[in-house]
Amino acid sequence: MRKNKLVAMMVVFNEGNRFLTRVLNHLSLWVDEIVILDDGSTDHTRKICNQYPKVFFVENDAHTFIQHEARLREKLWNITISRNPDWILAIDADEIFTDRILDAIDSYLEQKTYDAFAFRLFDFWKSENYYRVDGAWNPWIKFSAFLVRYHPEWKATWPDYVIHSGRWPLEYRFVKNTFQSDIRVKHFGWARPEDHYRKYIFYCQKDLEQYGKIQPHTKSIMASNDSIILEKWFERKWMVGF
Amino acid sequence: MVSKIKEVIKIKKKIGILTSNFFDPAGQRLIYGGAERYGIELTKLLLDLGYEVEWWQVGSGWIRDLMNNVKIKSIPVTESPYETMPTLNQAFLERAVDIDYAIYFVTFLAYPQVKEKSISISHGIYWDYPSFDNLIDGDNGRQEWLRRLKIALSGPDRVISVDTSTIEWVRATWPGLSHKFEYIPNFVDLAKFNPEGRKPILEQKPIRVIFPRRITTVRGINEVVRTAEIMTKEVKNLEFHIVGRGHHDQVEKELMKWASEHERIYYYWQPPEMMPEIYREMDIALIPTKAAEGTSLSCLEAMASGCVVISSYVGGLSDLVFNDYNGLLIKPTTQNLVQAIYSLLEDTDRAKRLSKNGVEVARAFSLDCWRESWKTVLQEVFN
Repeated sequence: MRKNKLVAMMVVFNEGNRFLTRVLNHLSLWVDEIVILDDGSTDHTRKICNQYPKVFFVENDAHTFIQHEARLREKLWNITISRNPDWILAIDADEIFTDRILDAIDSYLEQKTYDAFAFRLFDFWKSENYYRVDGAWNPWIKFSAFLVRYHPEWKATWPDYVIHSGRWPLEYRFVKNTFQSDIRVKHFGWARPEDHYRKYIFYCQKDLEQYGKIQPHTKSIMASNDSIILEKWFERKWMVGF
Repeated sequence: MVSKIKEVIKIKKKIGILTSNFFDPAGQRLIYGGAERYGIELTKLLLDLGYEVEWWQVGSGWIRDLMNNVKIKSIPVTESPYETMPTLNQAFLERAVDIDYAIYFVTFLAYPQVKEKSISISHGIYWDYPSFDNLIDGDNGRQEWLRRLKIALSGPDRVISVDTSTIEWVRATWPGLSHKFEYIPNFVDLAKFNPEGRKPILEQKPIRVIFPRRITTVRGINEVVRTAEIMTKEVKNLEFHIVGRGHHDQVEKELMKWASEHERIYYYWQPPEMMPEIYREMDIALIPTKAAEGTSLSCLEAMASGCVVISSYVGGLSDLVFNDYNGLLIKPTTQNLVQAIYSLLEDTDRAKRLSKNGVEVARAFSLDCWRESWKTVLQEVFN
């Protein structure tokens, strides 16, 4: 039985027919509370969330992500820290940890050496069997911090970014004692081909607002099949304790 | 008068420790290998003894907190001619002007000049692998490398060596330098690593074999991979656990994929605080180092936890393992590893004896002993 409380935080918007049920089913197995900020959904997202006893649900009146992501993230952060977390998990409604997390999470939360845990994120591409590895999509060369120890004594400031504001306040980025975990995270945000063009247009608009030009990574969403490199997902054996 | 004032104020003496990389050069990621764990324990000891501590390393000029009240500062240096870092060495001397004493965390960092009252640390012979020649331009650079190494070993008041093989090498190469050396082997924290509650050796299925090392060729990973393939096919209920980070992302990817394709072979890594629990679930630990080894922390931790250690007579490992008394010492080949594992599986009583003696021998390498030895040297050199 662990002592430290883990609170997951998530922004959702019209996730009813996407991956939310799977995400919440899995999260419910290993986090203590799930703070969900619904950014003005018009579908049955709320109904799904309310089925999970661990969910703490807060609703925005209107869809604000498209206006200013950082403000939305800040609001989510403030609700989350009001839930008295020892650790915070920043996760999206289309990301699922592989099952080894069930085995490892207690030891991660109880250890004293590290203040953050980073994981490799795999972007599934037009399917749930293959992930993308070309260029900046390569999951093997970078780790992203999903899990951070909450420090009430630290400041929490947010950049004034309309998009790509990051999941964490500036003070929680690049935590020096970050453990890079071997546990993989699946990201299904690109798993459905029908989403690609809509998301591409959205990110193009936001890039223009934020940077004045379309970023190479955004352009690579619509890259030709010849230049996209995919790898087949492989399952790892999972040890249930010892 | 001044000394009286100092006595009243009780000014703390400050020790500067120079290393190459504690963090990665960008200052973002804490590197947490055996040497870095050594550095943390040394810092704790120095703080306990009332010293102020400051670390220096390679970097763009950033300053970070290493621990409470301990900063690590960086110096923008990249070149390392002949496996030394003279620019870093000089910059440290010039910039760390307020330190009273210096510890050179790696021997070659003490070239060309050291602070008066200084100690350096040898973590073992690192020039015994074939491609080391490439780093010093083969025979063309060998003399210059040796000249620099000799200067680096001559400067400090004392060189702490974690093993006896380095001391023997120096004694045979430059007999006049051997008096500088003090043998303080590496340590194991017996409060964490002990056999309490462990799985009985070779009694419960599955039998588990662990390779608890960084994934590099000098640690014998290729021989272990082949051994695991052979033995999991031949022996039912035998598991192999390869536990450690690779030096490259590609290596981790390939090993992860390889393990996923083989029954009863696992590849993962865990925070150091999890390792005691892992060792207690293992029967046999493989430490088949081929080069560049001191007195391995992993070897000591596995032994203290009651795993039967199969090790090689490379570097300082023969300071820790006595063949057929507290483990097995072999030439690190696949064939020898397979034979050694079979020999344990076929004679459980022998394996249990080796495990029991391993626990006993590990006591001689306790963290407490290590702290006492260091304390003595610090008092001799710095007081």
